[in-house]
Amino acid sequence: MELFECSAADLARAVREGAHSVAEIVEVHLGRMDRLEPVLSAIVTPLKDEARARAAALDIALARGENPGPLTGVPVIVKDNFCTRRIRTTCSSRMLENWIPPYDATVVSYLERAGAVLIGKANMDEFAMGSSTEHSAFFTTSNPWDPSRVPGGSSGGSAASCAAGYAPLTFGSDTGGSIRQPAAFCGIYGFKPTYGMVSRYGVVPFASSLDQIGPFARTLEDLLLAMEVIAEADEKDATCSRALRPDFRKALDVTDLKGKRVGLVREFEGYDIDGPIVDALARARAALLDAGATVVDVSLPTVSHGLACYYIIAPAEASSNLARFDGVRYGLSAEADSLIDLYHRTRKAGFGPEVKRRLLTGTYVLSSGYYDAYYNKALKVVAILRDEFARAFGEADVILAPTTPTLPFRKGENIGDPIKMYMSDLFTLPANMAGLPALSLNGGYSDGLPVGIQLIGPRWGEMEIFSAAAVLEKALGAPRLAGGDL
Amino acid sequence: MALTFQTVIGLEIHVQLATKSKLFCACSTDYIGARPNSNVCPVCLGQPGSLPVVNGRAVELAVMVGLALGSTVQQATRFHRKNYFYPDLSKDYQISQYDLPICAGGRLSFRDDDGVEVSVAITRAHLEEDAGKLVHPSADGRLAGARYSLVDYNRSGVPLLEIVSEPDITSPAHARRYTEEIRRLVRCLGVSDGDMESGSLRVDANISQKVSDGRWGSRVEIKNMNSLRSLERALEYEVKRQRKVLGEGGEIRQETRHWDDGEGKTRPMRGKEEAHDYRYFPDPDLPPLIVESDRLKGIAAVMPELPWQAESRLVSAYGLSDDDAKIFAESADTVAYLDGCIRAGADPKRAANWIRTEVLRVLNEQKIDLATFTLEASDLASLLALVDGGKLSTTAAKDVFDVMVRDGVALEPAMTASGVTAGLVEGSQLEDIADKILAENEEAVEAVRSGRDPKGKKVKFLQGLIMRETRGQADVAQVEDLLRRRLI
Amino acid sequence: MAVGEKEVRHVAQLARLEVDDGEVAALVEHFNTILGHFERLKEVDTSSVADVLDNAVVTPWRDDEVRIWENRDEALAQAPDRDGDYFRVPQILEEA
Ligand SMILES: [Mg+2]
Ligand SMILES: [Zn+2]
Repeated sequence: MELFECSAADLARAVREGAHSVAEIVEVHLGRMDRLEPVLSAIVTPLKDEARARAAALDIALARGENPGPLTGVPVIVKDNFCTRRIRTTCSSRMLENWIPPYDATVVSYLERAGAVLIGKANMDEFAMGSSTEHSAFFTTSNPWDPSRVPGGSSGGSAASCAAGYAPLTFGSDTGGSIRQPAAFCGIYGFKPTYGMVSRYGVVPFASSLDQIGPFARTLEDLLLAMEVIAEADEKDATCSRALRPDFRKALDVTDLKGKRVGLVREFEGYDIDGPIVDALARARAALLDAGATVVDVSLPTVSHGLACYYIIAPAEASSNLARFDGVRYGLSAEADSLIDLYHRTRKAGFGPEVKRRLLTGTYVLSSGYYDAYYNKALKVVAILRDEFARAFGEADVILAPTTPTLPFRKGENIGDPIKMYMSDLFTLPANMAGLPALSLNGGYSDGLPVGIQLIGPRWGEMEIFSAAAVLEKALGAPRLAGGDL
Repeated sequence: MALTFQTVIGLEIHVQLATKSKLFCACSTDYIGARPNSNVCPVCLGQPGSLPVVNGRAVELAVMVGLALGSTVQQATRFHRKNYFYPDLSKDYQISQYDLPICAGGRLSFRDDDGVEVSVAITRAHLEEDAGKLVHPSADGRLAGARYSLVDYNRSGVPLLEIVSEPDITSPAHARRYTEEIRRLVRCLGVSDGDMESGSLRVDANISQKVSDGRWGSRVEIKNMNSLRSLERALEYEVKRQRKVLGEGGEIRQETRHWDDGEGKTRPMRGKEEAHDYRYFPDPDLPPLIVESDRLKGIAAVMPELPWQAESRLVSAYGLSDDDAKIFAESADTVAYLDGCIRAGADPKRAANWIRTEVLRVLNEQKIDLATFTLEASDLASLLALVDGGKLSTTAAKDVFDVMVRDGVALEPAMTASGVTAGLVEGSQLEDIADKILAENEEAVEAVRSGRDPKGKKVKFLQGLIMRETRGQADVAQVEDLLRRRLI
Repeated sequence: MAVGEKEVRHVAQLARLEVDDGEVAALVEHFNTILGHFERLKEVDTSSVADVLDNAVVTPWRDDEVRIWENRDEALAQAPDRDGDYFRVPQILEEA
């Protein structure tokens, strides 16, 4: 087995036991990146020199008998909206093409503290607005299972690079499905934690009330290992919980689901879902029943309004979050003789068409006379949806649902039709609006393409999801490494 | 029939709260004289990805003001974003409060210059962050004509409490008094230094006129009044201007005007005419702000005495005059000093008198405050006890006081240093002094003895010299008696 | 409610986002499509939702302590235009 096929847990073990040096592990993963990157275009900024220097430093520390942490020697990649001090952070936007942050995101420092080696920054839809990485200002990432298809988005670069073995662990942000949808399209695990589980400090926001940071992995064990490193309180984020986190890896010991109730959402049945996804859901359902769970119907009557609420709330918050890109303090700054021209020209040149569309929509729904009809109304509908979820989780311990309505689509297929593109978030965004944890996992393959399915848990119900996932991994197998024939 | 007018004024006062760190980050609030952009961090520089965390002390200070004004301190409030583009705003939005301010309602009462009781309703007081500072390097330092402007974010994020009054104020003089009262309050609470010149207390005024024929003039907002005097002048100017326009049948434009202190005029502000659409919405980075009832009780328990409470106590408990009480209540320190003197046994009126004349004089001369004043209240009390007991004349006591302050010493060494002993100069000591004075003033002595002092002027002169020599420590009757015997 | 060119231009002005004449037509169409989708929200009865103040999470109170940030030079180095320690912006003129 090649080192790039290994799990993070195995790599960390090998490093601890002295079987491999960090330098060796990092070199192999950089080699994998070099070989596949011409096809995949998953990385905006590779960090070869930085990674090699870091590997050398870790090897010296290990030789001295130090153990820097649970991810020592594990190569990781973060989405390019995670601030990294002295390393440019672009959000895949012209606006920040040359921006070098003066500080690290909290998650980045937690990873560093755990001994991980950052080897690259991943491509994404510009400012996380999109579902395919086709809205990156730089290039579109390819799906490692079929390069003519998209890897999903907005964390498409993170998903593709994990699936293809650049790194066993990568990280993204999820506002309406931006971790889970690309995880489904790339055939790996992608987890969006409960809102407030992971610090958002230093991750350039899209929509602050919906954004949550989470990991991609090819084994459940790796996913939980990553969660143990990043899910910690942070006094710099007022929305990040002060509570203690559970011992996530305990879920790996779960072998049966006796007494557990798996909910199926009645309203989701009316949607047009690709056949292989329906089949994968059936396989998962059978595996869960086999493990002793019961299956119940739950109802979310308001869920069909989720899409409208999402496309009001997220752009509204984004219009305010992205106001600061004005050419004064950092980033792109257009030539101008007056302040007003500086603003208009900088923002015209710096933002791509999808970002512009959303900023304008967001500005409109907050503007005088429309606030109550749109933004406030959407918040109230979301409050109802939260109550419906709370009721559903009185009847079920975890919900099984599709991640996406379709398998990975072809590049260009939806680019001209924003509304159709928005539809791919249909099943993922309810969890964001209700602040719930949700996992996309691989449910099998169809004609060489991975098929994703989703588990949604109650607030702080991570362990319910991970327990079910442990059973499913045993029954259905762990994800396969992508990119074998590239 | 001639038209009459009624002035309607509402004030918005921004008070900088005296916290050590900023409202949403741990940077220092001490920006005056600091190197530009030195007290900054990712949060107050609006760096992408940075997030605000509320300074609990700022919340406490806001609650104190709310309690003092009789506001309802709201248990559950939140922060909104006020969205507008301006370079002094590092995020291009200001975090403020909108539908749920921390303090709702309230009232401030005071006496006007004629002693008439005035009461102004408070609409609300809310927390918000200050903006950075713009420097306009044009020839005259103004915005107009500057080719570019410079931005310093040291002030960005300093906590402000915006206190909004109802339009209950009916004259520029009352607007000034109201502002004085707010300033006195925030100083007494230790909530702010309340300094208008340096901008830690900033007043914006809304002023309009109601005309006797039923017309209402539009509301005009006045900005840039940097002292109580300019506040009153600006409003007086605006009253005249608006009445003139309305009197001639014209209309008042609803606008923002800028007070020019040098010219003594208000002028329409340039570049601010665009109708604002701030797109307020709840800041998703900040969950609701909850002031738990225990916390509220804790703050209420440590509230200092309010200036108007102190004022009435000084009158009722110590018998001070209204004027004296008002002067004392200007600062909590002065009240505490007076209380300390009286607790140490001083007579209230004498102590008040001494503090007013002597202590405040020294503070003024030395440009210090009571916190750094060396003379303890109890030391002043023991000095005054000697005066009360007839052991020290006022004149001698003042000499001793000066030495105590100058040398920072206690009563005894100060008396030794100034050559004063407690008790009267009498007997042979007084006789020696009298003889010395008479010997030095032979001419006067001769005149008296030869009957050339019919009105007793020369005797008074000699008596005065003796009293001065004894630093007032002689009994006047004894001196008169002694002189009578010596001059026969 | 139908959105026209005028509204799109007004919103673009509020967002400080210059739009070309060529972009306006497409934006008008996009706005009307998406707002059409939003119309369906009116079907949801939200009269039972009194206030959306969600007290499940409350904002923490930070202690009033000063901490000096060491990287300010790195932040200033990112300024597109500077004058010494200051950020510099072009003249602030009246708006149209
Ligand atoms: Mg204000
Ligand atoms: Zn700061």
